[in-house]
Amino acid sequence: MPDWTPVALLRDLPPLVVMPVTVDGVDLALWRSASGRIAAWADRCPHRGMRLSHGFVRGEALSCIYHGWSYAQSGQCQRIPAHPDLEPPEAIRVPVHHATEAGGVIWVALDTVTTAPPALAGVQPLRSVTLDARFDPASAGLTESGGAWRGTLGGVAVAVLVQPLPDNRCALHVLAESKASPTDLVAASRGIETLRRQAEGVSA
Amino acid sequence: MTDPIRDEWYPVALVSQLGPEGRDTRLLGEPVRVAWQDGAIIVTSGGHTLPSQQRYGHVWACPGTPARPLFDIPEADQPGRRLVDVGLVRVKCSPLRAVENFLDIAHFPFVHTDILGAEPHTEVGKYDVAIREEVDEVWATKVHFYQPQAAKSAAGGITTEYMYRVPAPTVSILYKTCPPRPGEWDVITLFVQPLDEELCEVWPWMALFDDDTPMTDLIHFQQTIFLQDRSILENQLPHRLPLDPGMEIPTRADLTSIAYRRWLKRRGYTYGAQLVAA
Ligand code: FES
Ligand SMILES: [Fe+2]
Repeated sequence: MPDWTPVALLRDLPPLVVMPVTVDGVDLALWRSASGRIAAWADRCPHRGMRLSHGFVRGEALSCIYHGWSYAQSGQCQRIPAHPDLEPPEAIRVPVHHATEAGGVIWVALDTVTTAPPALAGVQPLRSVTLDARFDPASAGLTESGGAWRGTLGGVAVAVLVQPLPDNRCALHVLAESKASPTDLVAASRGIETLRRQAEGVSA
Repeated sequence: MTDPIRDEWYPVALVSQLGPEGRDTRLLGEPVRVAWQDGAIIVTSGGHTLPSQQRYGHVWACPGTPARPLFDIPEADQPGRRLVDVGLVRVKCSPLRAVENFLDIAHFPFVHTDILGAEPHTEVGKYDVAIREEVDEVWATKVHFYQPQAAKSAAGGITTEYMYRVPAPTVSILYKTCPPRPGEWDVITLFVQPLDEELCEVWPWMALFDDDTPMTDLIHFQQTIFLQDRSILENQLPHRLPLDPGMEIPTRADLTSIAYRRWLKRRGYTYGAQLVAA
């Protein structure tokens, strides 16, 4: 069943930034336009196959770093700098996936989904971390509730979203309770580090 | 029967940098050793001595039976030129992608920004491309491009004219107008050693009319350019060069690349290539 995958915290993708993300083993270029629109595209330029996640954002378009071909929000190529007067053919188009923001988290779906990503009430984005290991939320004392894993880290209530990655890796996107103080957030952040070390089997 | 891949000549070492310890390397996926023996350089692989020769600063070897003599660069013997051994850059890419990138000018403003190109001077005008049947080489001529700093010896921006030549599947030679010597061409080559189908070592080499620029600056300039190219080459998908149309969409600026791919396919040179669109 196609579903939303959490790929990043919104604050880690400011406008005019593009980054690589992976969803269900598919490499994507995740980017945000000047006006804040979020898009998740196949990470491959149709021209000569360069990864679009190495490209650059100008205004509402993403450009490939190799020859500067630029693509509009629809994925349609709108400009080929080597031929400034050429109207790019319709066929030059990057496959576009679904991306949306909810509760400070960016969610991506490769195919059309009928549901909305989970609304996470009472939490604020804390940070994302990549684990060189699989993650078993239950063994970390987390329980599933409302589309996230809930529990405490460093004594602070958290919601953890798990993004599976290839090669037995994963990313965790962690949100902390809204009323957490700055001190709490530092403690929760340390809790994430401990969690990561435990999952990776590295002694502290 | 000739083997279109094994019967080619490949660079395996720089003569000037081959120390007494020799060089252990790889060619077409097989271990190869380049070593001094009684004052001569020999290349061995799997207990056999390979045909080899020294030319254009490099040691060339053929894993099979040479199908033809090593290509000629007449300019290499022209008096007054400085011959520059740049050294190697290892790139995690198909040897054919490395050559194709070298044939491409449209990337200059974006990859070699403010050195070989700069926006808004991005247009690639019409140029001529041909497979010269009598020599079986790909040639692109009348290529013009605006460059902010065309060479180490160029002070400001100029429109540079180029010619590109592919005399062997993993070799490309660039002829470029030479600011201090109108009428002559600077020669910049890319000799590619295929370690395997998705890993290569590129050996740029130059024969220039430039008596002023210190050698280290010439080498550094060229290495800067190739490190910029490497960031592209290691991130192209698929990793192997698609020889069949369909996977990638070329435009008129890519006529050289189109001819190169067609020529490779016709020669049966598929090492580092992808044949069927996946
Ligand atoms: S590969 Fe993207 S513009 Fe050429
Ligand atoms: Fe380049």
